[in-house]
Amino acid sequence: MSGLKGSTYMKRYSRQTLFSPIGVDGQERLRRKHVLIVGLGALGSSIAETLTRAGVGKLTIIDRDYVEESNLQRQLLYSENDAMERMPKAEAAKRRLNEVNQDVEIHSIVGDADVPLLERLAPNIDLIMDGTDNFDTRFMMNDISHKFHIPWIFGSCVGSFGSTFTIIPGKTPCLQCLLKKLPMRGQTCDTVGIIAPAVQMVTAYQTAEALKILSENQWALRNTYVTFDLWQNQTLSIKADSIKNADCYTCGHYPTYPYLQYEATTKTAVLCGRNTVQIRPATSTNCSIAVLADQWKKAGYKVSANPFLVSVLKDEHRMVLFKDGRALIHGTNDITIAKRVYHSLIG
Amino acid sequence: MIKLLLFAQFRDQIGKQEMQFPIEGKTVKELKEILKESYSFDELDSVMVAINEEFVTDQEIIREGDIIALIPPVSGG
Repeated sequence: MSGLKGSTYMKRYSRQTLFSPIGVDGQERLRRKHVLIVGLGALGSSIAETLTRAGVGKLTIIDRDYVEESNLQRQLLYSENDAMERMPKAEAAKRRLNEVNQDVEIHSIVGDADVPLLERLAPNIDLIMDGTDNFDTRFMMNDISHKFHIPWIFGSCVGSFGSTFTIIPGKTPCLQCLLKKLPMRGQTCDTVGIIAPAVQMVTAYQTAEALKILSENQWALRNTYVTFDLWQNQTLSIKADSIKNADCYTCGHYPTYPYLQYEATTKTAVLCGRNTVQIRPATSTNCSIAVLADQWKKAGYKVSANPFLVSVLKDEHRMVLFKDGRALIHGTNDITIAKRVYHSLIG
Repeated sequence: MIKLLLFAQFRDQIGKQEMQFPIEGKTVKELKEILKESYSFDELDSVMVAINEEFVTDQEIIREGDIIALIPPVSGG
């Protein structure tokens, strides 16, 4: 409670404590909770803002990307300045969230939500919120959730269409029960667009469920898979209990958590619909981006940098290198070409 | 007759959000095969199928009057 103290604290949350299912006791329970938000795009930034304003004790936020102009139409936490400076989303989000509510401890991670990181964070987490834009990460989160018995709240959207489901280990079916396997690439925000209300609708459902879990009102959970299309005026709330699979590799009787093993070997990823490849070194390094930026400038490349990353233009490709050694190569979906660009600049 | 509700890319592909189908007595798996052949829907392996607002497996048998929703997973966020 570094920001507002004592009675001011209660005043701040008065409209939430007046809501009888939460009350003063529920507010205190929120303050003791630690939520992990994976991904800080449209869903993640909306979730982070709502939970910060609600007075959740601690948030750990992870994102591997930086702010771009095309994010601003729907990603609530970011400003034009963040886009101009190519601020990493996790860092820009932290700054904004600290302005909104100093009571909330924000731990930001600019990096990939990979298995070692999630396994390290999991033991201290009460709830995992899905703010990602890809199923590779969601299947990993699904495994982590069950291995560590942490509830997680799935959300996704594209166009005017969205879906959400609350997954409680030991109770509900899991993502693997719902989808059977990793989906093929479908529509993405970069191919068919997205409108902000679709995002807000998903996060309204996600954060309402989060408040129920965090204030320990589990009895009020929705228990259905919600899907809607705000433009076509369709809404469905679907019962899911009967598809819980007793032999599921994630939530069944003999789990093997397949996505925790698979991921451990992945080093490159094509970012869905973004014409971008990510390359991640086997172990994260702390590379001196200032030195590299200097070298590239001297070599005649167009370079811009901030304390967190450096961006360099090489022919039709732009590479953005983060301090942890991770690189995004824009302008290609081809891993081989991306690696060639990466190695041509870094060695 | 049954009613088929379409969302996201399936809706876009057909251009309408509802279709009538004489398919009672068949399984969900057979429905998927028909949709694949007649309307070249793809990625039906990971599509979620609900009958009367309850998820079902591929083995479920479709009955007269059922309302079937095909819900594709989308990845955006």
